[in-house]
Amino acid sequence: MATTSRSAIGRRAALAALGAGATALAAPRIVRAQDKVVRIGMPTILSGRVAQLGNSSRNAVLMEVERINAAGGLAGRRIEMVIRDSKGQPQEAARIARELINTEGCDLLLDGEASSGGFAVNEVARDLGVLCVHTNSETSSLTADPKLRLPNAFRVCRQGVHDSIVGGSYAAGVAKAKGLKRWATCAPDYAYGRDTTAQYVEYLKHFMPDVEIITQAWPKLFQPDYTENITKLLQAKPQALYTCLWAGDLTAFVDQASIYALLSQMELFAVNMADYTTLTAVKHLPPGIHSGNRYIKTFPKTPQNAAWADAYRARYKEYPTTWSWQNSAAMHFFEAAAKRANSVDGKKLAEVLPGLTVEVPFGTDGTITMRGEDHTIINYAIGWGTTIPTEPYVPDMHPGDWKQIVELEAEWKKANHYT
Amino acid sequence: MDLAALAACIANPGCVVTQATSGFIVGMLLFLVAAGLTLIFGVLKVINFAHGAFYMLGAYFAFALYQSSGSFALALIGGAAGSGVAALACERLLISRVYGGSVLMQLLVCYALVLILDDVVRMVWGNDFLSMGMPAQFQVPPLFVAGGVVPPFYLFLIAVALAIAVALGLALARTRLGKVVRAAAHNPQMVSALGINTGLIYGLVFALGGALAGMAGALAAPVRSLTPGMGFSILIDSFIVTVIGGMGSVAGALVGALLIGFIRAFGSVGFPLFTDGIMYMVMVAVLVTRPTGLFGRNAG
Amino acid sequence: MVRRAALADVLGGAAAFAVLAAVPLLIGGKAAPDFVIRCAAYGLFATSLNLLVGYGGMISFGHGMFFGLGAYAFGLLMQRTALSIPAAFALTILIAAAVATVIGAICVRLKEIYFAFVTLAFQMLIHSLIISWVGLTGGDQGLRGGIPRPVFLGVDLANRIQLYLACGAALVIGLVLMHRIVASQFGYTLRMTRDNAERAGYLGVDVVRVRLIAFVLAAVFACVGGVVMSLFVSGAYPDFADWTVSGDGMFINMLGGINVFLGPMLGTVILLLLNDTVTRLTEHDGIVLGVVILFFAIGLRKGLLDFVLDRIAERRATAVASPERG
Repeated sequence: MATTSRSAIGRRAALAALGAGATALAAPRIVRAQDKVVRIGMPTILSGRVAQLGNSSRNAVLMEVERINAAGGLAGRRIEMVIRDSKGQPQEAARIARELINTEGCDLLLDGEASSGGFAVNEVARDLGVLCVHTNSETSSLTADPKLRLPNAFRVCRQGVHDSIVGGSYAAGVAKAKGLKRWATCAPDYAYGRDTTAQYVEYLKHFMPDVEIITQAWPKLFQPDYTENITKLLQAKPQALYTCLWAGDLTAFVDQASIYALLSQMELFAVNMADYTTLTAVKHLPPGIHSGNRYIKTFPKTPQNAAWADAYRARYKEYPTTWSWQNSAAMHFFEAAAKRANSVDGKKLAEVLPGLTVEVPFGTDGTITMRGEDHTIINYAIGWGTTIPTEPYVPDMHPGDWKQIVELEAEWKKANHYT
Repeated sequence: MDLAALAACIANPGCVVTQATSGFIVGMLLFLVAAGLTLIFGVLKVINFAHGAFYMLGAYFAFALYQSSGSFALALIGGAAGSGVAALACERLLISRVYGGSVLMQLLVCYALVLILDDVVRMVWGNDFLSMGMPAQFQVPPLFVAGGVVPPFYLFLIAVALAIAVALGLALARTRLGKVVRAAAHNPQMVSALGINTGLIYGLVFALGGALAGMAGALAAPVRSLTPGMGFSILIDSFIVTVIGGMGSVAGALVGALLIGFIRAFGSVGFPLFTDGIMYMVMVAVLVTRPTGLFGRNAG
Repeated sequence: MVRRAALADVLGGAAAFAVLAAVPLLIGGKAAPDFVIRCAAYGLFATSLNLLVGYGGMISFGHGMFFGLGAYAFGLLMQRTALSIPAAFALTILIAAAVATVIGAICVRLKEIYFAFVTLAFQMLIHSLIISWVGLTGGDQGLRGGIPRPVFLGVDLANRIQLYLACGAALVIGLVLMHRIVASQFGYTLRMTRDNAERAGYLGVDVVRVRLIAFVLAAVFACVGGVVMSLFVSGAYPDFADWTVSGDGMFINMLGGINVFLGPMLGTVILLLLNDTVTRLTEHDGIVLGVVILFFAIGLRKGLLDFVLDRIAERRATAVASPERG
């Protein structure tokens, strides 16, 4: 039941976006002649494996566009979104990003691509010099590495290294309290899985040096069956297990681990569990899984955050995802920057964005700041907690300490020769 | 590489039992898919590149039936039957039109089927991954055998798949239909000269292959997450199984599937980052020494 | 004869290049050059695949691995070494040829269906290698940070127009070379092994050797297509080596036709136009593409150029048979 109504909404939203695109396509010159419109091009993933996340990004953007336009638009101009599906292929993302600027006449880019697509769009932004805001690429190097960083590109998105610092600090706290010294990891065998696991272990050991990693399992990306990895982990008898599997792979892992009663034998730390898509998909969510927050409407526990999640849910008949809040926040940054610069010119926006602080429901203290030195956001809500089988799923999130995050991040950058 | 861990595991009966169960689960599910693939190839001489899609359909049908009825038995039967019917429709409407045509055409028609079926699933059940959940009767603690861990659900799964394997073998060897099918694989002209409707046989074999894949999908649905396009990875593994076992040989599919299952189970202990590599190396070794596979006929 | 045909090819190529060079002048805007660059990448790839499929009767379902290999080898050489672009390009071709020789030596002995399978399996192996070998390839995130393009011989590929001209030249030269291969003695031998390998064997043709050479040559041109693609997106990504690239290549050949040399080129243009419009209109592009494939595979039973040429031939035949209707 829920699925049919959801897809109907999705289709309607798609048609609306399409209609906007089509009219604009039919008369781009007229529209531009009026000069009362600012066009934002958005390549994102609307089909394939992670389409649900791309869809939730688009939903959040359209919701914000409606709000901003009702309030007078960006510096007096009405926003028109041109949203295109890259199918998650980087070469398509690059082509679409170029087309959005060169033929659709978009003024700004909102890059809703994940990892590899995000890097491809970043190269287009480098080539064309257009203002680009990345919203879904969590790979730290995108903004940390000076070779990749651009004066005209910004990231409004959580970052892998932040997650690892908070995760390591939280895990060390639990480990000290419960005496968990023998650890195992299980991560998909690709860049995200390797990097995130290595960083997590690094910070876990930083906060608790006597931790020992006794075994590591590396299933393939999107592997359907984890049985052999689960049994291997059982044999090793660790006290705690870390995993950065995500979405459908994580639910499959939890389901398969449950029938081996794995969770009764070790503490599970699953960074990507606390996202509604995952939480609601698991039929028998075991209690007591430690998880980082992706997006949870009760963290931060503010009326604004709950109101935003409820509004989103009322409109789209599903909960927002971590991609939703990131895209929503990105639109807030566009809005605030246009207000301060009193312009929608990409160059002027790029001048005011560094150091800009916006009020959004997703900040630890109700605000998020675009850090000037490396064009990435800080102070967003980030924390860890344990699951319960029903709403609110993770009742008590322990927030990360941003002072500590920033300090350790600076050391990490130095160690990687990024500064 | 961690040969010490592998040696320690083999020395420990508990580890052997646990990993061997794991190998059987992976292997037997793979066998169900590969058996259909190999049967279809043996009789129809078509590489069913769309075979993974029937595995996917089986899982989704089972999911839908389990959601509405709450009965896992019904979900299993419905998943297999639904996939069989879908396979029959695809065969009669589309694939039958390219019999005897070039392999290129057959591959393309199957490729088109994969694209279309994936998108249809996406339209009906959404982009999101789904999880069916473990049926209540199997939500029980695992058994301990010789220090190894064996979940009851997996025992059930292996038993069902084994029963199907035995039934399939007997049906092919003993029944009239089985004999006709084997004859059709050897010499289709002779079979049709005997007045047997080869179109009917082809349709039945394709439907049976689809139903076997659907059964695998339905059996896996409680523990694997459902996504549009989930059939592709199992398709590749089944290809490897059929190449190792020999195209057209059901016994070969069983041996090949269990071989892959055990490589995965013990490889993850000994060579966690190189299990895939071992699978490919075994395949290449078989191809170089016996190009038609371990149980393949020389006809190729 | 041969020399005259070669001259015609070269002249035709020069004319085609002149037309391509005029495109940015004739059509304003920046979209047309981008489109042509993508056509060059996929066109080279698809035409090279047709060397195997159409001329050699070898249905490879893993040809995309060489497309990906070209993109990665070239990108890595430019990022990690101080080689000039022509040197890196030449080395990339050598690498692709070497890899193709090893893989081909295993594959070309196999009969058609096994050949299709095993090439696909090798493609999956290369793809999973790219994903897993994070230190070298950047894993799933691809080669990041752009591909540097130092100026060589006065050519600056960082300039979009010069890049466009270079890619256009690569396409034209690649097509001319492949056409020469097809028209050569080797091309005839290759077709003979396709039509009747046994007979070719009796006539003293080393079938395995001929097929292996075709496999390596096709890999080299596919790899050039990959290099063009890596320059277009200024990076290389695992998707370039994924099986879907091979699937697209098959589809392109099917669309355009495999019995005419330029069939795959026409197919490329159709597929890219189709892709660009369909993804604009719907997220269910799978259904649309699937139906189009079925139309060609079951409806026409051949590619567009093949279909057109056959119809023309048919009409001529009927015109000869019944002149009053002509």
